[in-house]
Formats: sequence, structure tokens, C-alpha cells
Amino acid sequence: MSTIVHKENTVVQKKSSYFQSVTFKKRMVKTIVMVILILGSLLILSPIWWMVATSVKSMKEVMSYPPTFLPKEWHWDNYIQAIQSAPFARYTMNTLFITVFVVIGNVLSNSFIAYGFAKIPFKGRNVLFAIVLATMMIPGFVTLVPQYVLYAKLGWLNTYLPLIVPAFFGSAFNIFLLRQFFLTIPNELIEAAKIDGASHFFIWWKIFIPLAMPAIATVAIFSFNGAWNDFLGPLLFINDETMYTLQLGLQVFKGQNATQWNLLMAGSLMVLLPVIILFFIFQRYFIEGMNLTAGSKG
Amino acid sequence: MQTNLQKNIKRQAPNKKPKRLFSMNQKEEFQGYIFIAPWVIGFLIFTAGPLLFSLYGSFTNFNITSSLSFIGLDNYKRMFTNDGLMWTSLWNTLYYVAISVPLTTAGAVLLAVLLNQNVPGTRLFRTIYYLPAVLSGVGVYLLWMQLLSPSSGLVNTLLSWVGIEGPSWLSDPAWTKPALIFMKLWSLGGGMLLYLASLQGVSKSLYEAAEIDGANVFRKFFHITLPMITPIIFFDLVTSFIGGFQIFQEAYVMSDSGNGGPANSLLFYNLHMWNKAFEVFDMGYAMAMSWILFIIILVLTVINLKLAPRWVHYDGEDRK
Amino acid sequence: MKAATKSIKLLLSLILSLTLLLTACSSNGGQGADSDKNSEGKVVIDFWTFWGSEIRRPVIEKIIQDFNNSQDKIEVKHTYLPFGDIWTKNLASIAAGKPADVIINDINQVAHRAQNNQNTNLSKYMEKDPEVKDRFFPELYKASLYKGEPYALPFNTDTRMLFYNKDMFKEVGLDPNKPPATWEELEEYGKKLDIKNGKNYDRIGYLPNYKMGAEVWMINADGKSYWDYKKEKPIIDDPSNIEALTWFKDYYDYYGSNVINKFQAEFGEETADPFISGKLAMTTETTNFFTKIRDYGEDINFGIAPLPAKEPGKSQTSWGGGFVAEIPKGAEHPDEAWEFLKYLTDVQAQEHWAVKGFDNVANIEASKKAAENPEFSEDGKMVYTASVKNLEETIITPVPLQAPDFTNLINPELEKVLLGKQSPKEGLKKAQRAVEQLVKNNK
Repeated sequence: MSTIVHKENTVVQKKSSYFQSVTFKKRMVKTIVMVILILGSLLILSPIWWMVATSVKSMKEVMSYPPTFLPKEWHWDNYIQAIQSAPFARYTMNTLFITVFVVIGNVLSNSFIAYGFAKIPFKGRNVLFAIVLATMMIPGFVTLVPQYVLYAKLGWLNTYLPLIVPAFFGSAFNIFLLRQFFLTIPNELIEAAKIDGASHFFIWWKIFIPLAMPAIATVAIFSFNGAWNDFLGPLLFINDETMYTLQLGLQVFKGQNATQWNLLMAGSLMVLLPVIILFFIFQRYFIEGMNLTAGSKG
Repeated sequence: MQTNLQKNIKRQAPNKKPKRLFSMNQKEEFQGYIFIAPWVIGFLIFTAGPLLFSLYGSFTNFNITSSLSFIGLDNYKRMFTNDGLMWTSLWNTLYYVAISVPLTTAGAVLLAVLLNQNVPGTRLFRTIYYLPAVLSGVGVYLLWMQLLSPSSGLVNTLLSWVGIEGPSWLSDPAWTKPALIFMKLWSLGGGMLLYLASLQGVSKSLYEAAEIDGANVFRKFFHITLPMITPIIFFDLVTSFIGGFQIFQEAYVMSDSGNGGPANSLLFYNLHMWNKAFEVFDMGYAMAMSWILFIIILVLTVINLKLAPRWVHYDGEDRK
Repeated sequence: MKAATKSIKLLLSLILSLTLLLTACSSNGGQGADSDKNSEGKVVIDFWTFWGSEIRRPVIEKIIQDFNNSQDKIEVKHTYLPFGDIWTKNLASIAAGKPADVIINDINQVAHRAQNNQNTNLSKYMEKDPEVKDRFFPELYKASLYKGEPYALPFNTDTRMLFYNKDMFKEVGLDPNKPPATWEELEEYGKKLDIKNGKNYDRIGYLPNYKMGAEVWMINADGKSYWDYKKEKPIIDDPSNIEALTWFKDYYDYYGSNVINKFQAEFGEETADPFISGKLAMTTETTNFFTKIRDYGEDINFGIAPLPAKEPGKSQTSWGGGFVAEIPKGAEHPDEAWEFLKYLTDVQAQEHWAVKGFDNVANIEASKKAAENPEFSEDGKMVYTASVKNLEETIITPVPLQAPDFTNLINPELEKVLLGKQSPKEGLKKAQRAVEQLVKNNK
């Protein structure tokens, strides 16, 4: 900083040099960030490269030692073979069906519930919120059996209901997450809307959801990811192979004695693709200007 | 939270007429209940029953399929006096949580800040860094077992390029947990996403104002960025603690025959519980274990909640 | 305000239509699960297996199809569930009273499951068809008993044998037709076959603790495992076990845990295989390993032999496992399920499974017929014949009812022995005491 001051005193064209030095600094920062990001990307991508390489190797090459970083032969037909190993088209439809409902359910219910916890004072709110948090703290597999029995009693076995319906009643993680985001939205906003005669429903639907779009998008992405990759749920509740999902389908490559690594990796990569594309698209909600508080800050 | 709430109400009170306030508050309260009703209904239908059952089950010799006789505190007694492996598993879990939670939280914040710099290709970079979070399940852990192979694995190959001889990660008891933490750091994408979303809420005008004051990168980070995202850091810490204590599948897949080896170094609390529940069918005992874990996590979360007002900054709450 | 009511209406109608849709699909899906009889009036029984791979699935489905065609009362419906998870689901479904009619499960836990009421007592069926029990290898049938009564029928099995590379034997001047017959020879040949490269090895003759740990050698030494099934008590620290572990540990130390750990981690995850890649001259594997040599090896000239004995003339006992078919407790159609169980373990189905999957089966006659099957290659025939012979000297080690998770206490002690933190004797004594304590607690 002292150098800037120094420059300002000595150089004749004060203003432009001041700007120059700031842009220069900004550029420097950006270049450093860029270099870090590129190096980091390589680190992140190298395991994924390993997957890609394995997916196009022959099983003979997978079994050979030392492992090759670049496949000797590229067997793209592994992908075709992987698709044909199970009715994956059917599984994709099934998975998509579940996922769409879970995402809709999660976004609606959790934002609704979180609004209540964040912005409306009522008796017992803190106790109830503590219970919300507490439900996350019990390991899932001790409730697994009673839950299964419950769904059996409801007659929901071998349907998608156990996978979809709970999403419409909120989940602790998402409620907590959205509550945190909603808390950062100023109360004046609500007060102002109330003076205009708006109800809480209106405020939630018309003000909070649009304002918290990055957070809503985050919940949507997490839910999509969770439902798409859910393994235990479909495994437990579905008895009919025609109703299986992609994650169950991928299991066929894992044998009792021998795993078909190349097909497993090919299948996993294909299952991954829609999620990546979706993420890429959803990112438009992560652009600056989608500010939570921009509206209120002068 | 309680105190904030009370403050709010108190502050509002003098401004309004007493009569109207009463009915307004009642109406408001009623609406509050409507908003959280879906959760309450869902909780009562889907969650409460199984939870209470597991609490009751912890006082029985429940074996999943037949016996369910009340045996009092036996399971709890056995846990504290007769199960050495329980203590090993608790220690392993604490070790893992204590190291992985701060590392992943800090890592995710830094990554999100880097990815929020508007450099060319931001969308692509974000997708790349999020990729590992999308990959999930057993396949990833099997992949990492290959990557962590001592002499032909990718990790040690990379290390050898910078002159470091990597350890035999998964077969050396001293390195198994670091290996897992290493793997967790690879998939920071989920946390990164949270912070990225929260960074969109930090008003640009704040930065502009700071720049005019001549604040440098670090000052801006510590005085603007960090305070503004504390609500999400708080969320991330609480949920990571909860999730960290429940680490299971990684160890189940990556340890020798799923038993937590070598030398019990990967025997985490939940893995031990799983073995008790589904290998030995001692579900009552596993349920007792789960409620002890519940208490441990609860205490830590309450501490977290108590400390929160000191550092978590909510823009939306009227605080001093 | 108007906009608000509108949006609420919109939301409500959305939720309503969702609920309708969901109930619609639930009633669709429900049909298959509860129907007892199909359109032809046959009883439908559910059969859960973990055989979904392209190798296994066609084999089991052919067997099912043959059964369905062989009679007109029962139709078997096959459902594939992933290995391991299938049993979690089994437990939950038994608890909910809606299990499958037949399931494939682990042979080592039959009695343990029976004790916990998870499978059906088959003795009333067995009385009707008394000849059924004679079709199995006695050791396998014994493993499916609880208090002397059968709760499952053995389906397939395995046994550990020594595979060795004949070309490498020739290369170092060993007779390729004389595999090591004793521990001493194994060690001697093994060391001869090593190729050292500085600190590391380019090739190792035989690597202790790779794929097969000390416990199998303890069984091999005297035909007994950690547990005395008659007296129902642990015999972990009996002198024979101590001797075996001491030998094992000495051999282990010849390479050191550094070399062995690296090697193990390197080849641990079933991708690259050291025997197939020429890094290992001898290896002890289940006989199904042959399919890997056949499918992924490049013309490996290999031989197969029983595990070497402790001393000349001593037993060459090996260790095995396997899977059984059983009827979960509370199954809807146990009588029909029994008919299918009988078919599954009869000669025709068993031989089909043995030949198409190159797997050892529980039925003796089917095993012998399979060994002669013309579909096998020369090597295949050699391996299969050897494996059937080996099965006669293979023991199964079911989990003891008094301490079902006792290996969790033993394995860490063994690991400490191998790391040099305690002597073999100390380690086994400690394990013995820990297991005795566990047995006492479980009483």
C-alpha cells in the first residue's frame, strides 16, 4: 500500500496509474487462482481418468501387472456390452421416475418447513427444531428393520412409495440447510411484505424461494444425487427386478469370485453422466447477482 | 436461539397496540405450525415409531427375527465393561472426526472461494470439482483401493514424482485412517457447493467498499467473506460432525474382509455396531450402542449450538 | 393476496395429483408381490439369489426353467439381489413376515441362523425323503444341522489347493510334476523360485499370508480349526496351532511384513493377479481360480496339488466354505419350496451348475459326473477332478453358536504376531482367553 501512495505522489498521471495497479493486482490474483484451479483439477481428475482407462481395457489387461495408465487397446465396445448386461433402459426410466418425485418433494417440503422454523416465531419452535436435528444423530441401520416392518404394514413393499413419499415430509439435513439460508434474509423484507398485505405463504413462495435460489438449487442437486445414487432403499423395498434402479443394475458386474471391472467402470461412468449434465445446467443459479440479500441492501 | 427469539418479540412489542398484538401473534403462531406440519406429520408416521422402537429395543435381547425380552440395562452394562472393541472403535471414530471435519470444512471454504473468482471456465471448474461428490458408493471405494496400492497405485506414483516414498496406505495400521481422510478430501465437492451457494449472498457492494478502503485479499476474506458465510459453516460443522461419527461404508468396503482391519485400525463405531447387528444378530446391543452414540453426538451438537452465537452471524436476525 | 391464493391452489393441486399418481403406481406394483398363484393356477414361489452376473445368471435361470417345466404345480420366480446385501434384506423381510420362499445363504451360519429363528426346520420333509441327505459330502451336510436337525441343503462349495507354475519349476531345476508335498518343501521350493532385485522381488516363489492366512495352515496341521465343535469350546492355543503359527511366522519373516504388505495391497483387490502376471510361482486359492487362469492368462503351464502337509504322511486337510439353499422362517409356501430345494440339490441341476459355472457342488454324484464331462478342457478336467478329490479332505468351519463373532477377537492378535509385537504363543494364548471370556459373557 505504501508503494501505491508513493507512486501517486511521483507519477504525473495519478488516476490512471492507480487503476492500472489495481487491475494488475486483480489480474495477478486471477492468474494465481487459475493456476491453482488447473493443478487441483488434474489431481481431482486423475482418479476419474483411472476409471475411464479401466472402462475401455480388456479384462486381460485389467488383470495384468503392472497396471497400465494408458490402455493398450481401446475397447469401446465395453460400453455396449455393459448396457446389454442388464435392462438398463428400463432401470433408467425407473430411477428417473423416483428421482423426479424426490427432487420435487424435497424442494417443496423442505423450503416450506424451513421457512416456518426460520421466520415464524411460535411456541416450542426450538424444541421441535432440536428434534429435527436429533433425528440425524441415530444411525440408520438400527431403524432399518422397524422401518421395513412399518412399510410392510402399510402395504408399501414392492412399490416406490417408501422411496418417494417421505421426501414430501422434509428431511432434517435439508430443513437445517435451508433454515440457515433463510435466516440470512432480513426480517425487514417480511415486515414490508406484510404491510402490503402478503401472507406467509405468499412470502415463502414469491419472495423466499426466488431469493434463495442458490440454496434451493443446492437442495435440488443434493436430492437428485441422493435419489439417483440410492442403493439401500431400492434394494430393501423393491422385490421385482423390472422395478430395479440403476444402482442395483450396476451390481451385476460384481460377481461372487470375479468382478468385471471394465464393465463396472463403464456402467458407473454412464450412470454418472446425467448427474454431471444436470449439475452443469443448474449452475446458472450460482452466478453472482442471484444475491440473497441484494434486494434489501442499498 | 431462544434468547434471540425473545429479544425479537420483546423489541416488537412496544411498537404495536397490545390488543392487536395478541391476535396477530396467535395467528402467526398458527401459521408457524402449518408451515412445520409436514415435518411433524412425516416424523410421527415414518420416523418416531422406528426411533422409539430402537430405544425400547436397546433394553432387550432383540435379535431381529424372534426374541424381544426385556433385559434392563444389560446391553449398556456389557458395552462399558465387557467390550474392548467398543472402546477401540470409539477411539478410531474420534480420531477420524477430529481430523477430517476441520480439514474438509476448511478445504471446502477455500475451494468455494477460489471457484467464486470469476476466472475463465468457472462453470467447467466447478463441475470438475463437484464430480467426486457425484460418484458414490462402493465403486468409488474400490477405485480408491487401487489408487492407494503401494507401488503401482496412482497416489504413490504421484508422490514419487516429488521424491516422496508413499506408505502402504491400507495395509499399514498407522496409515489407514489418513488414507480415508485423504479420500474424503478428494470429494469436497458437496461442501464446496454449499459455500458457493452461500457466497452468492455476499453482496458485491461490501467488497467494493472494502476495495476503496484498500483492503487486500486476505482482509476481504477474513472481514467480509468469512463472517457472511458463518451460518453455513455452522451448518457444515454440525452435519459433518454427525456424519463423521457415522462413518461406515468406507471402512466396510476398504478394510480386510469388512472387519475393520488391519489391526482394527478401521474398526469404526458404526462398523462394530453393524457387525453386532447383522453378523451376530445382537440387534438389542447394537441399538444400545446407537443410543450411546446419539448421546455423544448430541452433547457435541449442543456445545456447537451454545458456541454458535459467539461467531455465527445472521444477517436476517436483528442482533446488537 | 390474490396471487398468494392462486399459488397455494396451484401447489395443492400439484400435491393432490402427485398423491393420485403415486397411489396409482402403488396398486400397479402391488399385484406381483401378493399373488400366490399365477394365471395357470401354479403356486408362485420367490427365490432370491445373488447370482446376477452374466456368467452365473444364465446357469441358475436354466435350472429354474427346467424345474418349472418338469412339473405343473409350482412356478419359481427368480430375483437377483446383490451379494451381502441380500442377507440384510432377508433379515428385514423375515422380521416383517414377508420373506422369500427360498434363499441362497452362507453355509457357515446355518446353525447360527437356526438358533435365531431365521430359517425353517427341514426334518419333517427329510423324514419323507430320507434319501436326500445322502447325496451331499458329509462335511457339508453336517454344517447345515442345528441340534442334529437340518435347516438348509448345501448347494455349492469350494476348497483351497495349491496352483503352481510348471515352467518356472523347470526354469529353476525343479521337477514340474512334483509339487511340494510338505511345508518344508513348500518353503524350500518357494525360496528357490524367488527372483530378487535389490531390496525388492521381481518374482516370489510362494507368499505366506497372500490370499490364505495362518488359520488355514493351522487347520492343515491337524484337521482342526480354532473351535472344538464336540466340546463346544475354543482350542485356539492348542500346541498344533502354536507350532503351525510359529512356522508360518518364520516363513513370513523371511520376506518381512514390508514386502508382504506391499504385495498384498498391490494385488489385494482382485484386479491384477500376481500368479497370472508371472509375479508368483505358487499360490493357494479356491479351485474356481482356474477360470481366471483360463480366461485371463496367456498360456500358463500350471499344475494343481493339495495343500502340502505339515510332515510327510500327515493329513493334507484343506479349508472350504460354500452356500446353502434354505427356506426363511415364515415363508408362505414351505412345502413347494422343499420340492424346489430337492430339485436344486439333485444330480441334474447340480451337474449343470458345476459344469457351466466351473464351481464345486455339494452333491457327490454330480461332482463325479461333472469331472468326466466332455465340455471341460483337458486342464479343466484335471483341476475339477483334483478338486473333487480334495473335497473329501476339506473341512468347513461354521461359526460357533457360543461365540459367533470370535474371529474379530482372534484376527487382531494374529496381526500383532505378524507385526512382531508378540510371539505366536502369546498371541494365541491371548486370543484364547479373549474368546473364553466372550463365551462366558454370551452364556
